[in-house]
Amino acid sequence: MNKKVKNGINVFLFLLPALALFVGVLIAPIFMSTAYSFHDMGPLDKISKDNFIGFKNYIELFTSDSLNFPLALKNSLLLAFFSVFIQLPLSLGLALLLGKGIKGERGFLSVFFMPVLISTIIIGQLWLKIYNPDYGLLTRALEAIGVIKEGSPIIWLGDKKIALAAAFVPILWQYVGYHMLLMYAGVKGVSPDLREAAMLDGATDSQINRYIVIPCIKPIIKVSVIFAITGSLKSYDLIKVLTDGGPNHATEVPSTLMINFLFARNRFGLGSTVAVMLIILCFFFAIVVNRVFRRED
Amino acid sequence: MKKIVALVLASVMALSIAGCGSTSAPKAGDKVKITMWCIATESDSNRPAYDKAIAEVTAAHPEIEFEWEATENEAYKTKIKAAAAANEMPDIFFTWGGAFLGEFVKNGRVYCLDDAYKNFTKDLPEAMLGNTTYDGKHYGVPLTMNIVGLFANMDHLNKVGYTEVPKTYDELVDCCDKLVAAGIIPFGCSGKEGWCVTEYIEPLIEKQIGAAALSDVFAKKASWNNADITKAVNTFQEWINKGYFDPSGIALGNDEVKNNFMQGKYAFYQNGTWNCADFAATDGLNVQVTEFPVMDSSKAKLGQLIGGPSDTLAVAASSKNAEVAANFAFELGKAICHYSYLSGSGLPAWNVDYETPDINELTKTVAGICNKADAYVLFGDTAMDADTAQIYLDYIGKIYGGEISGDDFVAGLTKDIG
Repeated sequence: MNKKVKNGINVFLFLLPALALFVGVLIAPIFMSTAYSFHDMGPLDKISKDNFIGFKNYIELFTSDSLNFPLALKNSLLLAFFSVFIQLPLSLGLALLLGKGIKGERGFLSVFFMPVLISTIIIGQLWLKIYNPDYGLLTRALEAIGVIKEGSPIIWLGDKKIALAAAFVPILWQYVGYHMLLMYAGVKGVSPDLREAAMLDGATDSQINRYIVIPCIKPIIKVSVIFAITGSLKSYDLIKVLTDGGPNHATEVPSTLMINFLFARNRFGLGSTVAVMLIILCFFFAIVVNRVFRRED
Repeated sequence: MKKIVALVLASVMALSIAGCGSTSAPKAGDKVKITMWCIATESDSNRPAYDKAIAEVTAAHPEIEFEWEATENEAYKTKIKAAAAANEMPDIFFTWGGAFLGEFVKNGRVYCLDDAYKNFTKDLPEAMLGNTTYDGKHYGVPLTMNIVGLFANMDHLNKVGYTEVPKTYDELVDCCDKLVAAGIIPFGCSGKEGWCVTEYIEPLIEKQIGAAALSDVFAKKASWNNADITKAVNTFQEWINKGYFDPSGIALGNDEVKNNFMQGKYAFYQNGTWNCADFAATDGLNVQVTEFPVMDSSKAKLGQLIGGPSDTLAVAASSKNAEVAANFAFELGKAICHYSYLSGSGLPAWNVDYETPDINELTKTVAGICNKADAYVLFGDTAMDADTAQIYLDYIGKIYGGEISGDDFVAGLTKDIG
């Protein structure tokens, strides 16, 4: 056996545990979910010819009025839109500001990053209290400044017209610090020589940011955009705590719907179909974002 | 050298993997390990009863090593279904009778308790096993039975001239009108948890169309297409429009609503009678309980109730010690029933062969209502299969949110369920 083949076998053997883990926890479940999605089955059923239904779950998902999948998809795409066009610019602004080396930089960094460190359940409970119509901070503050009349509170999470927006605010707020930190690391990585050269040429702060810093951290911005979009598509925890998809599905997102199909309705096939759709959408948007950034380059 | 290091590392990995998988057979005299999952969390009304019952039964069985854990109600439903799908259930698990347990039984996940039941026939009447019997076989140990009760804060009712809970429908409406005029919210109901809305709508429908008719609708023996159901649901919506319900309730969970009632925010709270213990133990809370009044006396009557024995313990078919677990589940079920009844968090599904001097007044009243019961209709979302129950709860949510009318409710359910 020549040395090259021997080395190849050694590399394979050493990679085998990681490969097995990767296949076991990621690839196999995707294949299993895909297989389940073609069957009409409960969580306790086994895949069989009898419950094979082809693409019926996919068709039902998009055509049924009562399943609310199009609404859930629209909600998560809306969240992705706000994440990209509100959350990320805010994060970028903060990263540029802090990256400049302002006074108390580390303190601000910790404060902005703190929501990321706190458990989502705690954040959810915190915002439930803020939104509480009886004693919530928001209601009380608006009453104090006369925006709303005392005794007629706004039901932030119970009114279909505003519940979605109210649920989005904590989600967007929580991850501003996360994206800020990613971008801050990029900003700090920009060579001071470039800044100094630009300053000597008379460039203003905003010109330095626009023509030097932002182009330099473009790969990080790309990663943030992918994380923001896929994170929005997969959002679950805060919605679960704040509204559980209600009132009457107004704040439903695909993940809450998926859990509902899997465990409340016992429709394992349909729940798996949502899982497959989420995987496809996440891959699709990751590829689109990559292409857009590549074309920009 | 590299090869030697690689060999040593590989050997260590192989040994550690082998170590992880090693099992040892139980020796004679070893304790039998029994595990249990339930919903008696720290905030659950039944928790004290579980604590006492477990302490008593485990003390009587030193040969059993008992481990248990409690999970919040809604999360528990997901957890137990996931465990059943993976066939990794605990030996004993809490479940609800009717369709919920039926799904597990249908898929062979539950151990048949017929043999174990033979030792407990004197203490547990067979009539109490109806919701856990499938194809003539028993699969559950009922713990307590509960009904939907109309709890009233008498301090609020006194303010509008009512010294006792309204007994007729007209009195109830009059009382609510007076409460609204006095600035008191009559009802609190959680919209975040659909089952809480059914605790209002189901008694309303039952007292309009009668217990037998409602039972048939839940069992799909009769259609939802019934003018009296439309009438009952429209009445419920009319109440919402008249301001009988707390508008904040739609965004609140049941614990928050219940807490609001206990703090005196509402005059009425219609929910399961498992709440009796908590209300009786709350200082300064002057509460009375009754059943929902009759709306149409030509079809319904007092004594037709929503509820029945539903809280149940079952044994997993996959249990390595199923026979031991089955006997243990019966003994534990009996003890939980005993202490739940004494603490007022449920009525006994088992025969009462003990003194009951300290039972609170609310539980005594509920026991009185049940003694005169004419018929029980199991909670709708428990009686229906999971998918149907979710469709039903979706429509219930739409009604509470004012999105559809009673006609739409009936038409929708007729189309989607039958």
